[in-house]
Amino acid sequence: MADVLSVGVNLEAFAQAISAIQALRSSVSRVFDCLKDGMRNKETLEGREKAFIAHFQDNLHSVNRDLNELERLSNLVGKPSENHPLHNSGLLSLDPVQDKTPLYSQLLQAYKWSNKLQYHAGLASGLLNQQSLKRSANQMGVSAKRRPKAQPTTLVLPPQYVDDVISRIDRMFPEMSIHLSRPNGTSAMLLVTLGKVLKVIVVMRSLFIDRTIVKGYNENVYTEDGKLDIWSKSNYQVFQKVTDHATTALLHYQLPQMPDVVVRSFMTWLRSYIKLFQAPCQRCGKFLQDGLPPTWRDFRTLEAFHDTCRQ
Amino acid sequence: MEMFRSNTVWYIICQPPTACGYSTGQLRFRGVSQMPVAEGKSVQQTVELLTRKLEVLGAEKQGTFCVDCETYHTAASTLGSQGQAGKLMYVMHNSEYPLSCFALFENGPCLTADTNFDVLMVKLKGFFQSAKASKIETRGTRYQYCDFLVKVGTVTMGPSARGISVEVEYGPCVVASDCWSLLLEFLQSFLGSHTPGAPAVFGNRHDTVYGPADTMVQYMELFNKIRKQPQVPVAGIR
Repeated sequence: MADVLSVGVNLEAFAQAISAIQALRSSVSRVFDCLKDGMRNKETLEGREKAFIAHFQDNLHSVNRDLNELERLSNLVGKPSENHPLHNSGLLSLDPVQDKTPLYSQLLQAYKWSNKLQYHAGLASGLLNQQSLKRSANQMGVSAKRRPKAQPTTLVLPPQYVDDVISRIDRMFPEMSIHLSRPNGTSAMLLVTLGKVLKVIVVMRSLFIDRTIVKGYNENVYTEDGKLDIWSKSNYQVFQKVTDHATTALLHYQLPQMPDVVVRSFMTWLRSYIKLFQAPCQRCGKFLQDGLPPTWRDFRTLEAFHDTCRQ
Repeated sequence: MEMFRSNTVWYIICQPPTACGYSTGQLRFRGVSQMPVAEGKSVQQTVELLTRKLEVLGAEKQGTFCVDCETYHTAASTLGSQGQAGKLMYVMHNSEYPLSCFALFENGPCLTADTNFDVLMVKLKGFFQSAKASKIETRGTRYQYCDFLVKVGTVTMGPSARGISVEVEYGPCVVASDCWSLLLEFLQSFLGSHTPGAPAVFGNRHDTVYGPADTMVQYMELFNKIRKQPQVPVAGIR
C-alpha cells in the first residue's frame, strides 16, 4: 500500500517537474527573444537602455525561479531506480500486465544465468591454465597486444633442416616410408605408410605437427585433383579411433625447445601400430572389444590396449 | 573396370543339411550321432539361427548378396589324341563386384575380367562347353558389424539347398595372415565352438595383399566340396 502511495506521489511530482521544465524552457527562450529584439520602441537612447535592462533582468529572474523550482521538484521525485540491482530495467517490474509480457522474470533469469556462467568460466579458465596445451614456446598469459611480433624461433626453421630431420627418421624405421611434399608454401606434408597396415597424413608447420589423419592401407589418400586429402576421415571405425589417439599423442609429446625429438617420439609411437591387428590387449587379453581391436598404444611402453582397458 | 576393394578377408564354412556339423578347412566334423538329425534343423532354420545370433551381437542388415559359379569343360574336339581329361574352368560372379567376372582353374590362375567375359564364353563354345546343370550359387543377407562384413548364404545347386556359407570380411586389414586371430575371435562370438581352422589363404604367401580373387578361390573350393557331397534326401530341403 505504501509503495503504491509513494509511486502515486512520485508520479504527481513527475508531472509537476515536467511542467517546471516546460516553464524553464519558455523562460529561457524569452531571454533569447529579448536579446534578439534588442533595444527599440523608445524615443531616447537612455529610455531604451533602461527598458531593455529591466526586461532582461526580469527574464533572468524568471529563469532563475523556474530553475530553483525544478531543482526542488527533482529532489521530490528522487531517484527511484537507484536502489534496484538492475537499475532502470528494474522498472519493468512495474509493468501491470505480467502475463502478457513476462519480460521482468525472464530478465532476472538471464541475469542469474549470466552470473553463473561468469563464475564457471572463471573456474574453468583457472583449471585450464594449470594444464597448458600450447605446444609452441610462447609464454602463457602474455596478452595479444604484448605478444612479440617475431615468431618463435622454432617456427622459422629452414625447410632444408626439416627435410634432414624427416629423412633421418625415414631411415631409422625400415618398415615405415615417409614421403614429404610441400604443396602449399613452406609447410611440409608427410604421407607415412606403415607396413601394409595403415597410412598417415601428417600436416606440419615447420617441425610442429599440426594435424594427423590415419587411414587404411587400401584407402585413397588423394583428392580428385591429386592433392593429399587432409580433411576427409577414414571409412573404417578402427582408423577413426586411431586418428583420435594420434591427435592425443600430438598433444602428449611436447618439448618446445627440441621439436625434432618430438617428431621422432611421435613416429616411434606411430610405428607400434604395425601390429594393430596382431597384438591382443595387454589388459583383457582379447583381440576385439565392441568390434574394434586394441587401438590404444601406451605413450611410454607402446603396449596395446583397448580404449576402455587403458588406465 | 570397377575399383576393387582389395581388402577382403573371408572365411567360408559349409554345413551339409544331414550331418548337422560344420565341415571346415580342417574338417572339424561332428558325427551324425552326436548331433542327431531328429533335431530337425533344416538349412533355413540354421541360417535363421545364425542371423539371429548376429543381430543379437549388434550387426546391422545391409541388403543381400549373391555369388554364382558355372563350370565349363574343355570341348572334346580340342582334346589331345591321348584322351587326357580336360581341365575344368569355373566362371564366377560376385554381387560385391557387380562389373566383374572371374574365371578360375582349380589350383590354377584366376582371371578377373569385365562382365563382357560371359559373351566371350559363348563365342568360345568350340573350346569350352558349359557342363549341364552345374550352376551352383549362394544367396543371403549381408550384415555389418563395426568394420566387419558378414554374409550368411544358402548354397543351392539346381533346385536343392546343399549347405550354408558364412563369409566374414574385415575391411581395414589387407594382409590375411595378420588378422586371422582377430577374425577367429569374431567367428567364435557367433559360431561358438564350431569355429573353423584357418583356410589356406591365411597360411601361404606372407604379407601379400588380399584381393577379390582370393575370395573367389575360396568360394570355388567350397562349391567343389559341396558338389562332391552325396545328394541329400528330399526331406532335408525346404
